[in-house]
Amino acid sequence: MSEENKSYVELKNINKFYGEYHASNNVSFGIEKGKLVALLGPSGSGKTTILRMIAGLEAPDSGEIIIDGQVVNDIPASKRGIGFVFQNYALFRYMTVYENIAFGLRIQKQSNDKIDARVKELVSLIGLDGLEKRYPSQLSGGQRQRVAFARALAPNPHLLLLDEPFAAIDAKVRKELRSWLKNMIEKLGITSIFVTHDQDEAVEVADEIIITNKGRVEQKGSPIDIYKNPETAFAAQFFGQTFFVENYRDFKTFDSVEGASNAVLRPEFLKLTKKDEPKKYSVTIAKAIVQSVDFRGSNIEVTVKYKNNIFIARRTLDEAPVEVGEEVDIFVYRLLVLDGDKVHLLKNRALDEESVVI
Amino acid sequence: MAEKQSNGLVKYFLIAISVIFLFLFLVLPLYVVVTEAFKKGAEQYWQAVSDEYTVKAILLTLEATVFAVVINTVFGVFAAWAVTKFRFEGKKVLTTLIDLPVTVSPIIAGLIYVLTFGRQSILYPLLEKYDIKIVFAVPGIVLATIFVTFPFVSRELIPVLESQGTDEEEAAALMGANGSTIFRRVTFPHIKWALLYGVVLCASRAMGEFGAVSVLSGHLRGKTNTLPLHVEILFNEFQYMPAFAVSSILVVMAILLLIIRSIIEHKGKKETEIR
Repeated sequence: MSEENKSYVELKNINKFYGEYHASNNVSFGIEKGKLVALLGPSGSGKTTILRMIAGLEAPDSGEIIIDGQVVNDIPASKRGIGFVFQNYALFRYMTVYENIAFGLRIQKQSNDKIDARVKELVSLIGLDGLEKRYPSQLSGGQRQRVAFARALAPNPHLLLLDEPFAAIDAKVRKELRSWLKNMIEKLGITSIFVTHDQDEAVEVADEIIITNKGRVEQKGSPIDIYKNPETAFAAQFFGQTFFVENYRDFKTFDSVEGASNAVLRPEFLKLTKKDEPKKYSVTIAKAIVQSVDFRGSNIEVTVKYKNNIFIARRTLDEAPVEVGEEVDIFVYRLLVLDGDKVHLLKNRALDEESVVI
Repeated sequence: MAEKQSNGLVKYFLIAISVIFLFLFLVLPLYVVVTEAFKKGAEQYWQAVSDEYTVKAILLTLEATVFAVVINTVFGVFAAWAVTKFRFEGKKVLTTLIDLPVTVSPIIAGLIYVLTFGRQSILYPLLEKYDIKIVFAVPGIVLATIFVTFPFVSRELIPVLESQGTDEEEAAALMGANGSTIFRRVTFPHIKWALLYGVVLCASRAMGEFGAVSVLSGHLRGKTNTLPLHVEILFNEFQYMPAFAVSSILVVMAILLLIIRSIIEHKGKKETEIR
């Protein structure tokens, strides 16, 4: 059974410098076979560098890259058997869709019959039947992305790398493509790593997320895991919509963490009630002023000011409307307390007391 | 309304200026060349054009042009590829050096070669030993023509290659394609029209080159005289009609190249519109 837990792709203490700039700082992680993994981080966090090093387009200054039990540092990109989807697809613009997909197979000198069969199979897989003779410029963004995907898959790679696969597509098509790509990769069972700066995208598509920041890996885990138990201050603030709390002791009935005073709040950690609405935990309620009210389709986002802090809370459309300038009550269920680079998740003790009462 | 009207006035004013300018400085002289050439009738014209020395000058001009175009195309492609697809130190210096022949006066270019390969040069004993003649000989003319025209191809290619980026090449390399396959199937289709355009520019400049070639040629009639030099000699000998007749050959060659140029431009534009 130990075989199954072994990483298919492994990075060991990878360092990479661009001049003075430390693009990868002691990066280590492992990825299991068949997983769809997101490298998530703000721009300049070194995520694309990691991807390009795995592909062999860049060489690390130190450390080892292991794919399928083999150190690949000295194996050229072309021999690694990796499929790569570029950020702007890099489709060959002077070749048709058919020739784009066939390119890798022609390089391998496969027979024309085999190539034809494989290309046709992939074209129907990506749902572009009948468009084989088009040139990339005659396709929509989403179609181009599908062609790039098919082209990368054509030579049957063991590993698929995607650099910001949805960045160049407009918002509406993006949603659709995300689930398409996820289903497709699941169906094929190919180990895949994709780079993104969009947390929604990472949460929606990936089995596992690796959060990068300033050339370091901050945390690796399933989306739920990272959301629930962020390990670093960066992970706590980057993941999900967050608001900074200057002095969390303002909210009573929370345990105290030695030496820490700042915390992070998420909208779902907050309950906002109007003055005339019934409340459960009257002891621990704080007063805040409504700054703005924004309709978000399925809910209403209410921005409130509490002392020097700005929070956003959500209310459903069924609840009584609140107005700008109104004084409301906020109740905090949970807090992520920042203790240096560590994070503690605190639960409001009022909740425990109540469950004891019931 | 008033604004629109004044815009119309500006438009016609600018058009008129351009047309008058082109007529005075281009059409009129060309007209004079052709009428002067045929002043004494077609027979005299044919005699001047088919003169032994004129034919030799045409052949030498074509020879120098072919050499310059072939060598500069190869060099231009390599240089443009190196400059746009790789990162290396001294890249700025290289691109500046490529532009040098455009800024340096052709006379100076000619003198450089006379000083490098002539009698005063330290290389001269070596050249003499192996009986290599460069100055006042055909190799000198070819060298001078190459020097003067070498930026044309690479100058056309560099912006095109730059705008293309390196993604497509990287994608091809990742799939295992080697350098020549990448060039043939990915890079070349992209630069095809720009390359042809550069070749045409290079050829037209090579045919008309006077300064550098004049210094290196020594004006040996029938041996080292190119068409422009031949025109000068005829003119200096007060043989005006033949001088204009020979000039008209150059004019015809230039117009031919212009037509080829416009066709290439048109086709290239059409194709880039699709892609």
